[in-house]
Amino acid sequence: MPTKIPPEERLLSLTVALMATRVGLTKEQILSSVSGYREKREEGVKATALEKMFERDKDELRRLGVPIHTLGETADPDDLREARYLIPPTEYVLPPDIDFSPAEVAVLNLAGTVWSESSMSTDARSALRKIRSLGIDVDEPIIGFAPRVSVRDPSFAALQSANEQARVVRFTYVTPGDDTPRLRRVAPLALIEFEGRWHVLARDLARDADRTFLLSRIVGAVEVTADTFDAALRDGAGVRAERGLQDVARRNIAELEVRENSEAALRLRRRATRKGDTLRVPFVDAHVLADELASYGPEVKVIAPDALRALVVSRLQLTLAAHTRPEPGAEVTA
Amino acid sequence: MSAQQPLLTMDRVSIVMTLVPYLIEKGPVAVAVAAADFDVSAETMRAMAEGLTVIGLPGGMDHELFGIDWDLLDTHDELAMLNTVAFERTPRLTSREAAALLAGLQLAQSLPGVKNRGVVAGLMAKLARGAGATPGQLVLSADPVDDVRVAVMDALDRGVAISFTYRRPDSTSPTTRTVDPVRVLISDAEWYVRGWCHTRRAMRTFHLDRVSDPIVTDIPSASHDDPDAPVFSGEGVDSLVRVSYPNHLVPLLGQYLDHGDVEAGPERSSVALRVADDHSLKRLAARRGGAVIIEEPESARRVAADWAAAGLAQYE
Repeated sequence: MPTKIPPEERLLSLTVALMATRVGLTKEQILSSVSGYREKREEGVKATALEKMFERDKDELRRLGVPIHTLGETADPDDLREARYLIPPTEYVLPPDIDFSPAEVAVLNLAGTVWSESSMSTDARSALRKIRSLGIDVDEPIIGFAPRVSVRDPSFAALQSANEQARVVRFTYVTPGDDTPRLRRVAPLALIEFEGRWHVLARDLARDADRTFLLSRIVGAVEVTADTFDAALRDGAGVRAERGLQDVARRNIAELEVRENSEAALRLRRRATRKGDTLRVPFVDAHVLADELASYGPEVKVIAPDALRALVVSRLQLTLAAHTRPEPGAEVTA
Repeated sequence: MSAQQPLLTMDRVSIVMTLVPYLIEKGPVAVAVAAADFDVSAETMRAMAEGLTVIGLPGGMDHELFGIDWDLLDTHDELAMLNTVAFERTPRLTSREAAALLAGLQLAQSLPGVKNRGVVAGLMAKLARGAGATPGQLVLSADPVDDVRVAVMDALDRGVAISFTYRRPDSTSPTTRTVDPVRVLISDAEWYVRGWCHTRRAMRTFHLDRVSDPIVTDIPSASHDDPDAPVFSGEGVDSLVRVSYPNHLVPLLGQYLDHGDVEAGPERSSVALRVADDHSLKRLAARRGGAVIIEEPESARRVAADWAAAGLAQYE
């Protein structure tokens, strides 16, 4: 009776085999001898199916960070019959001089918990497993803090992997006030969460200029193209993105009349400076601030700038219209 | 945390690659301890350790390459490696793993328990060097810390109660609360303190923006049991409101939708939310400028219309 080898056993056996060899193994050697492939071949599974399985396994292992090298390709790059595969142990392991103190592990344990359920939390968890496997004693855990960052924007995962692999992306973006969504082709240089919203700093390749996009304004899927960009463009981009957003906030000031002791007064005061009877609140994006100010209803009146006032007024008008029923059952169009 | 989720093949592969060096470093370790360290159930941990022993080298020499101490497992429910042929050392971090921790460090670095250890800068360098490829650029911008946040974190750190003025939205008068802080929750840049309220004699969550005049007292905090409470656990939740919204707004409504019954539609969906009263959602409706509509009850709908009308009246 054929024994069923679970896929994890095949993947682990493949890794062990490729680490144990100094000269590398050919595909033929792997398929005929490594547990999981061998049994399948003996059962009569076709060579093409086995080769596909090997290609998939290689990709999956590389995604886990396992450095699989291909040696000695022949003149024809598509002909990998002569190629030999191996994993250099020194590239696989954490550099031996990297060590963590008990205090550092305690801090990392906290840093690893900031992500809400998402692919980021999976990555953080597996990173912590690796660090725990160093067998380091841990200081008392840092208790009492539960920072949580959520990644709800559906475009996040694609942008993050494009950023990591230095690949160009295409997406449709709605600029507020402009009804036509436009297709953008950009190099994503950094992802930044600022004031609770995710942004991407990207080089717009058509204009050769850097732009910051709000992930919540990306419509539909982000397409990761086969085109790559110079990875050096990413250097320092995260810091640049953060500073850029702070600069914008310093330039844009909303002047507001705010009702004392209201929810609006409480929520705005931490960001605001007082000038006479008005509060001055810096902002990054007029539309995002207008959303917030509209939520305060009569608690806030916008004095300046005019554009911000118009945005708040139109939100309030639309809210009023949507909640005033002309007649039972009639459709409200905003 | 997520110990109950089924593991995918690649999770199992990744766990085995770290379980071997872990067991070598730790020596005999209780199954329960290893399971907690790896964030899996005890049964999963036992099954994974047993699965180690069937991994083979090429050529069908099926002798044990990874041997575990079966007697120890059977008699004491402890794990220990007897022999290994690979995976003795901890693997490098992937660039994504390093990025996830680096970003977490940025957010955590201003917290007192982290700051006073003074290890963040060194850690950032180590993580970047310990990754197989350059980590992506991922930034979590930490909010400036004000006096209220400092006071709350100070009280938490010293294990004493804090008293403050608290003003809930649409309440007529503020209340003075004394609270044993249990933890600070930071969710999407909003800060909350969760703690035992002496006045209400119950666990409560307070939004720090609504806190003022904080005083760190000398009253020692009692210890309070409060396993992972949700942020959204308001005082007096007794009204059901149905709200409709266009599907593209889902990412912006996340927190609300996590706590209600969603009825999905092709263009618009609706959700029934438990809230304190008719006033609870008028601010949400106005924030979304007509895209989010309070459908029922009529009284809550009218509150939203009046709220928007009162806002508009200021500009006439």
